[in-house]
Amino acid sequence: MNDTFFDPHQRATIAAAMARMIPTDDTPGAAEAGTIDFLDGYLSGTDRIYAAPDGNGFEVLTGRRLDAWTQRLEVVRARYVAGVRALDAAAERRGGRFVDLSGEEQDDVLREVERPEGREQEADAARAKVALYGAPVEAALQQTSAEVDLGFVPLLALHTRQGFYADPVYGGNRDHVGWKVIGFPGPASLAEVHQGRYTTIDYFAEDRVHPGTEGLS
Amino acid sequence: MTSQTTAGTRHDPTDVLIIGAGASGATAAKVLTESGLRVVALEKGPWRTKETFSGDELASINRYDLWPDPLLNPRTHRTGVDEPATTQLFCPVPQMVGGGTVHWQGWLPRFTEEDFRFHSVVGDVPGASLADWPISYAELEPYYTAVEWAFGVSGQAGANRYESFRSKGYPCPPMPMSRYAEKYHRGAAALGWNTFPTPQAALSQPFDGRPATVLSAFAQQHGDPSGTRSSALNVFVPQAVATGRYDLRPDSVVREITVDARGRATGAVYEDAEGRLHEQRADVVVLACGAVETARLMLLSRSAAHPHGLGNENDLVGRNVTFHEFSSAVATFDDPIYAWAGGGYVSASSFEFYGHDDSRGFAGGGHMATSGVGIPLPINWSLPDRPAWGAEAKRVDREHFNHSMAASMVVHDLPQHDNRVDLDDEVVDDWGLPVARITLTPHENDLAMGRFLIDRSAEILEAAGATSVQKVYPDRVTGNCSHQHGTARMGNDPETSVLDRDCRAHTVENLFVVDGSSFPTGTGANPTLTIMANAWRVAERIAAGRDAATRG
Ligand SMILES: Cc1cc2nc3c(=O)[nH]c(=O)nc-3n(C[C@H](O)[C@H](O)[C@H](O)COP(=O)(O)OP(=O)(O)OC[C@H]3O[C@@H](n4cnc5c(N)ncnc54)[C@H](O)[C@@H]3O)c2cc1C
Repeated sequence: MNDTFFDPHQRATIAAAMARMIPTDDTPGAAEAGTIDFLDGYLSGTDRIYAAPDGNGFEVLTGRRLDAWTQRLEVVRARYVAGVRALDAAAERRGGRFVDLSGEEQDDVLREVERPEGREQEADAARAKVALYGAPVEAALQQTSAEVDLGFVPLLALHTRQGFYADPVYGGNRDHVGWKVIGFPGPASLAEVHQGRYTTIDYFAEDRVHPGTEGLS
Repeated sequence: MTSQTTAGTRHDPTDVLIIGAGASGATAAKVLTESGLRVVALEKGPWRTKETFSGDELASINRYDLWPDPLLNPRTHRTGVDEPATTQLFCPVPQMVGGGTVHWQGWLPRFTEEDFRFHSVVGDVPGASLADWPISYAELEPYYTAVEWAFGVSGQAGANRYESFRSKGYPCPPMPMSRYAEKYHRGAAALGWNTFPTPQAALSQPFDGRPATVLSAFAQQHGDPSGTRSSALNVFVPQAVATGRYDLRPDSVVREITVDARGRATGAVYEDAEGRLHEQRADVVVLACGAVETARLMLLSRSAAHPHGLGNENDLVGRNVTFHEFSSAVATFDDPIYAWAGGGYVSASSFEFYGHDDSRGFAGGGHMATSGVGIPLPINWSLPDRPAWGAEAKRVDREHFNHSMAASMVVHDLPQHDNRVDLDDEVVDDWGLPVARITLTPHENDLAMGRFLIDRSAEILEAAGATSVQKVYPDRVTGNCSHQHGTARMGNDPETSVLDRDCRAHTVENLFVVDGSSFPTGTGANPTLTIMANAWRVAERIAAGRDAATRG
């Protein structure tokens, strides 16, 4: 399995950008979680889209699903290739390639690429929200976003988050660092859930019975 | 458009043909097969087993493992007839055996007595096309009970002070109390408002040979690898299969309902996974595709007898569509809430502001309940003001992921004549069929109700001791709760409704619709218990009609 899509420069650039999206501080960030491996694996081909439900390997796509994912990956890859170019072009005006800039300069470049013109700002901010919340109205949403509709920076933010928090079977969230940072006691492996062994009952209220319902029949 | 296509394999005729094997289609299949009828069901999507589901947030939520893939199944949306429609994933529902029940957590409140005569209760509202239901709560009550007991709903009879009459309690006690439910009860109690454990499609204890539901965090929007949640897939489909009279064909996309020269439905033409066409004939045809896809299929089925689409003699099919809207006040607390526990929807509810009250200045009200914030799992969790990336985003995740919860509500959006589903004139799906185009503007009443219910929700969170509360007022209807109704409303007058009170098309005597299409109003509560109860009722009518026909 060929599990990389980026050339070394693209890979270094995207890894650097991801490290700004979820920075390393006193806790691990995108770099430690291996979000770049997650993304590179995803972009490498259609054989890493769905982990097998028990975590043992990946599903082989066929038919319409294969067509849709082939199509989607093409769009998303093109956006990354263009995105790296856009980062370097904006970086050049600051005197180097994106990877050569300081962290703060990289943030500036990312913001510039995210919102190219003043007029576009609002629309882009809205699109960034779509990336993360599924739709512009944040919190309570049930449906997910269409990756192909996202601009480069929102897409990168989404994939960084996915690489930080998805099950480690996809190559990111190494040793569950993403979950540890925020205190999510997820399952040890997909197999735990698959076999019905993963329960969150310990995180329910100490008093398991709803108030006021004891005497009712 | 092909009409009365006969190409492809022809199957032996059957008694009843059901299109769709989701909540309503599976309920009808259970009742019809148990009454002795032979049923063929055509389901667009796959028939998945529990072994194919997993606790994989990325696959389930972000990569369309269960959601319809928007590249294959697009829809379009616009806010008015003069606007260009844009392609978007408007109000998606999983397409597979079990339909939307495969990855829900199943809040199953009953509608109230008032819901069935909403127009009479609130009067005329300018711009809204309100109508009373042709059936009453009392007529549906036995079917509510039947579904609750067949499904094994966990809840507490009597706890909802505003519930209408019920003939029987719930089969299982409420689910264990989550910490977010505890906060919600406490906040509302401080305000003097009634709350109750949200009735749920899950088993708090073993029931009917099924083990108690596993309280995983991967529940809402995930399939159920343990097979312990209550869904059409886990309950009604196996019951129908057990009769030996349910011929369920997955991966079968219905392209058209066929009719004879008199305009009676004769069956359907469908395409299998290999792209081959088939024809299935039946004495009775039942549509159960969900309100959007049912309207689309009716409009796609044009013939000499029904030139504007099946049952669309009065240009009513697809009109008056309602979707609800789900939004929340979102709070953070000092102490941990773990609002992903149980999947984030093992909840507490309130009907305190459900019934109509003139003094509020808008018509109707809605179901309020607590949940995790958004999709309460790490990838898709968020707070409304969190930036998309950077150090601040990370700080918010770290500090608030375990300390946040939502007090949410369902907007009872009013039906409007010009809010509708029809066929897009440009965009087609992967099968080459014109997609559903949604034309929709919210009514001022919808927005006012949303603001009111979000304000009350915020008060509950404040009373529960929240350290911060943010309100997310719904300013549009986005179809975000996967609830669909109204596209073929039932009524007694053929001039103003598509279906009669038994959900039979006024102009196609052997065509029935059992999904939410028939609902004249959307009400303020999650619809699926009522969809299933009504499907059960209609299926009994179909079976009774067949009996009468054979006897006569
Ligand atoms: C994440 C989520 C959470 C939800 N939570 C709740 C909740 O808590 N409470 C509640 O009441 N409701 C909830 N719902 C909504 C609920 O799932 C729906 O109301 C319910 O499934 C509708 O039932 P239905 O039979 O009308 O349609 P569906 O269940 O959608 O079934 C329709 C079926 O028809 C098939 N179909 C469509 N077109 C064709 C065709 N041309 N040929 C063949 N087959 C076709 C589809 O593939 C689908 O399987 C939720 C939905 C989702 C997605």
